[in-house]
Amino acid sequence: MNLVTLLVAGLANGSLYALVALGLVLIYKTHDLVNFAHGEILMAGGFIGFTAYQTMHLPYPVAFLLAIALGGLLGAVIELVAFRRVADQHHITLAMVTVGLSVFMKGIARVPFGTDIYTFPPAFSADRITLGSAVIAPQHLLTIGIAALLTLLLFLFFRYTTLGKQMRATQQNITGARLVGINTGRVFSSTWSLAAALGAGAGVLAAPLSLLYPDMGTNFLLKGFAAAVLGGFESVPGAIIGGFLVGIIEMLFGGYVSTAFQQVSAFFIIIVILFIRPNGLFGRRAVARV
Amino acid sequence: MERLPWLRRGFAPVLCVLLVLLAQVADSYTQYIVNLALIYVVIGVGLNFLLGYAGQFAFAHAALMGIGAYTTALLTSRLYWSFWLCLPLSGVVAAALGALGALPAMRMKRVYLALVTLAFAQLVVWVLVNWNVVTLGTDGVDVPAPMLFGWRVKGDTSVFYVVLPCTALMYWLAKRILESRIGRAFVTIRENEIVARCNGINVARTKTVVFALSAFYAGIGGSLYALTLGFIVPDAFGLSQLVLHFSIVVLGGLLSLSGAAIGAVVLTALPELLRDLQALQEIIYGLVLMVVILVMPQGIAGLLKRWGVLPREVLARNWRALARETP
Repeated sequence: MNLVTLLVAGLANGSLYALVALGLVLIYKTHDLVNFAHGEILMAGGFIGFTAYQTMHLPYPVAFLLAIALGGLLGAVIELVAFRRVADQHHITLAMVTVGLSVFMKGIARVPFGTDIYTFPPAFSADRITLGSAVIAPQHLLTIGIAALLTLLLFLFFRYTTLGKQMRATQQNITGARLVGINTGRVFSSTWSLAAALGAGAGVLAAPLSLLYPDMGTNFLLKGFAAAVLGGFESVPGAIIGGFLVGIIEMLFGGYVSTAFQQVSAFFIIIVILFIRPNGLFGRRAVARV
Repeated sequence: MERLPWLRRGFAPVLCVLLVLLAQVADSYTQYIVNLALIYVVIGVGLNFLLGYAGQFAFAHAALMGIGAYTTALLTSRLYWSFWLCLPLSGVVAAALGALGALPAMRMKRVYLALVTLAFAQLVVWVLVNWNVVTLGTDGVDVPAPMLFGWRVKGDTSVFYVVLPCTALMYWLAKRILESRIGRAFVTIRENEIVARCNGINVARTKTVVFALSAFYAGIGGSLYALTLGFIVPDAFGLSQLVLHFSIVVLGGLLSLSGAAIGAVVLTALPELLRDLQALQEIIYGLVLMVVILVMPQGIAGLLKRWGVLPREVLARNWRALARETP
């Protein structure tokens, strides 16, 4: 396999992992919670996009925005119904609520879509681009582009908007944020909807590259989780770089070592990296108070 | 505050007798479910050591169960070793590999430990699938029925008479361990490692012990699982198995031995009742998990303790305050 081809495919997968990782990191930073239902939010986004684009024949950008909007709404509803009241419980308990949610959402998706596997056509039927000996799929470029755009928007949002600043304040010190009059409840629901919107967007982008079925979220959750941890789990740039690394490592192992090892290669690398840097590549060392 | 003391005294022996009576009348399918539930009691108790008592967020339990199951299945079917040797050996092999989990736990906390153990679990399943020469890959392994004093342990009722004493023994052992010095050391480590050190607890050794102990339970559970099913495949020990283990412990109640048992029974029976409808099964399973945790965050056992049906466990006091402080 050609190196450039592998790298582009790795970057495309990696940008999806990065979007998933971003959603996980955002929720972790505000709620101190690993959201195991994030893969199912991605799956929901994929199916919303599929229904809008294939069944209702809406144009692709509209379908994409619709998935993002409905995904955001879904996130806010989840936060309000499931997490508002139990936010101070033990983190394992909270994590289990998300596991329950994940199983529940898979069941819901199986009602209309059954156990079939759906194919989502690429956004446009352009030919593959050949660059020297490398072959690049347009869908890969689109994925990288949209993921980069979403990341940039997110960065601007956190940097310049009031809500973004309030979110960062809440992440740093929730009591302090409340003291200066930030409505932390609103911050919680906005964080969830932002994270879920990113996940749903990733779902629409992921659907043509993988396939569309109710269990599709698990793989993306695992890889996104790996990416987030690799980046340090509390660092937004870390999550993005972690995502790219996981995607590229996977592709290189798949191309040069063995395709059977591709699925687990990222985990293998991560075990090694975490033994060297126990708080991820960009994580800060945790300081414990007695 | 302790109501219903009569219910508690001699509860376990009565339960065992009831199960034996049930075995006389139950059909093969019911018996199979009972056997599974008993195995998941062992698994749940093992995970509760690690997750509930020692507070280590580790995700390798399903893989360790798989290692136990495969140790038994491969040694009995391919090398013709006796099952009665393989049963404890499965526990020991799993414990040895599980103790490795203590290595990352020395340096990493929470999500990092979770990911490393999850990665380890994925690698184990990958090895089981791809190391065809030894594990037969996705074709799976048949587990031959063992012999006991010339009596062949075949059929669900016979298996029950092997599983029940094992579960009872493991449960009793867990109770004794948690009441001992080492059991209190587990809880101290969860609350605060520095405080534990100040009180003369060897944190590294205690963590190794709890990881090995938990894995030992997973290995024994896996071995019994192989015996009960008679045929195992690598996929059985993947993520859905892990979700089941976590659900058992959290639904039953972290920090409660009886909780793990209750969770095991509920979560083995529930999916079986709805086994023909995958979508409905998932919807109900997910809903039950969410609602139970939201309504009673300390699990079913926590609720029963509040009602005075179950005895309060000294180690579990101040759970809510603790939950806020644990980093």
